[in-house]
Amino acid sequence: MKCDRCNKPATIHLTEIRNGKSLELHLCQQCAAEAGYLQQTHLSMNDMLTEFVKAKTGMSQRDALVCPDCGMKWQEFKETGLLGCPKDYEIFSDQLRGVIENAQRGATHHTGKTPTATVAPEDSVKLRQAELSRLKKDLTDALEHESYEVAAMLRDQIKALEAVPPTH
Amino acid sequence: MNPQIQKLLGKSGEWLASTGPQNAVVVSSRVRLARNLADFPFMTKAGRTQRAELHRLCREQLLGMSSARPFFYIDMEKTDQVDRQLLVERHLISKQHAFGDGSRGVAVSDDEAFSIMVNEEDHIRLQVIRSGLQLRECWREADTLDNALGQHLRYAFSDRFGFLTACPTNLGTGMRVSVMLHLPALKLTDEIEKVFVAAKDMHLAVRGLFGEGTEAIGDFYQISNQTTLGRSEEEILTEFADVILPRLIAAELSARSVLEQERPLMLDDKIGRAVGLLRNARLLSSEEALFGLSHLRLGVAMGRVANLTMSTINRIFLTTQPGHFQRTLGQSLEGEARKAARASYVRQLMTPAAG
Ligand SMILES: [Zn+2]
Ligand SMILES: [Zn+2]
Repeated sequence: MKCDRCNKPATIHLTEIRNGKSLELHLCQQCAAEAGYLQQTHLSMNDMLTEFVKAKTGMSQRDALVCPDCGMKWQEFKETGLLGCPKDYEIFSDQLRGVIENAQRGATHHTGKTPTATVAPEDSVKLRQAELSRLKKDLTDALEHESYEVAAMLRDQIKALEAVPPTH
Repeated sequence: MNPQIQKLLGKSGEWLASTGPQNAVVVSSRVRLARNLADFPFMTKAGRTQRAELHRLCREQLLGMSSARPFFYIDMEKTDQVDRQLLVERHLISKQHAFGDGSRGVAVSDDEAFSIMVNEEDHIRLQVIRSGLQLRECWREADTLDNALGQHLRYAFSDRFGFLTACPTNLGTGMRVSVMLHLPALKLTDEIEKVFVAAKDMHLAVRGLFGEGTEAIGDFYQISNQTTLGRSEEEILTEFADVILPRLIAAELSARSVLEQERPLMLDDKIGRAVGLLRNARLLSSEEALFGLSHLRLGVAMGRVANLTMSTINRIFLTTQPGHFQRTLGQSLEGEARKAARASYVRQLMTPAAG
């Protein structure tokens, strides 16, 4: 590997955390010294590694979460705004909560159409009942926490769901 | 050039025919649905092989789909750059779809009323587009197509979040409802900024002529809903079509009548200059053409320009875009030669109607 600044072989490898982003540096002895990275000459490679690991674990547990299906990391989503697979909605459900509520004017539940192929009519009735009881539980929670705006929205969603004619 | 794209060149799709309701202000209506297959990762995490497999699967289902309108399929990787640009200019695909990479394609109905992109940001992006204000018609057809396509494809869906999409901003219905509005009078009366503020308050997105990341040229704006979760398709549609849009249309129309009553000279000056520019320019850039066409469209809509129809304007509008222009002239011109050719082409279209 060549030095980032000149063409000599790089012998010093550093990971810097700047503004929450990790930055890899590969430098030759001379460039590293010029850039001031060698002032702490007492710092051995091992110490550096420990520093690096500390910085890593310093990141919250959330950022380290990885989807077993697609390998998506929460940190990656934060950078691109795009998820990796349908399962990510379960894996990152805690973190996504705020993101979704923000993007969707506080809405938390789907009330529109359901796919034709995946849901048989009996299932859809069952699903709707499960959905209704979940919404009603959320409503009780919201009222307990005096989140009236959320409660009003949940009430609307319950009303909408109850208004859907049963499928045959 | 792809022969099927060549067929499109000779005509303009239904949405540009401008026979739709409210066409003085509303150029076109569009409903888009985002869908993903349950058994695949989203595009960001789909490798080459998975991407190709996704494409093969969706293409196969699309070609077997029952549809009232005949349609054809275009493989983007086998399509050259000019043809892709042409499809963008006809609003059949997004810029991202045209100039991204990897295995992907689009199904387009012969009359350009619908297009279904495969492997865009989501596995499937289905859109129906109509002239003027026809959002309900767009939704009805999109719904039917979605049902037909969904019969054999297992979509990623959760009972809580609805249709699962790569970006959480499309979650739930996956539905984006949008209109292209022509708002020249609001611009001339310096009220356009107020409209943007109001649109933001109403949770709408305002974009330029060719969607995300494009600027508003020629006073054309795409307005769309930003939330897709928590309300049914019907509710989203009702709010957009029956509450929000009438206000925007009324604002533009009232600005037009203010101009007509209080500043008729200024109004006719703008329109007259546009006519003059398009009829007499010897060197014309595509931005200049759009700028002129905007005021010309205003003049025709207000009955202040004789012997010109909306469809002529739409035709000029489309054919002066870079991709179309290059195809129409059948050669790639540069710089001044291109501007000269564009000017002479526009002059021709403007003259016969002026009699
Ligand atoms: Zn060096
Ligand atoms: Zn995943």
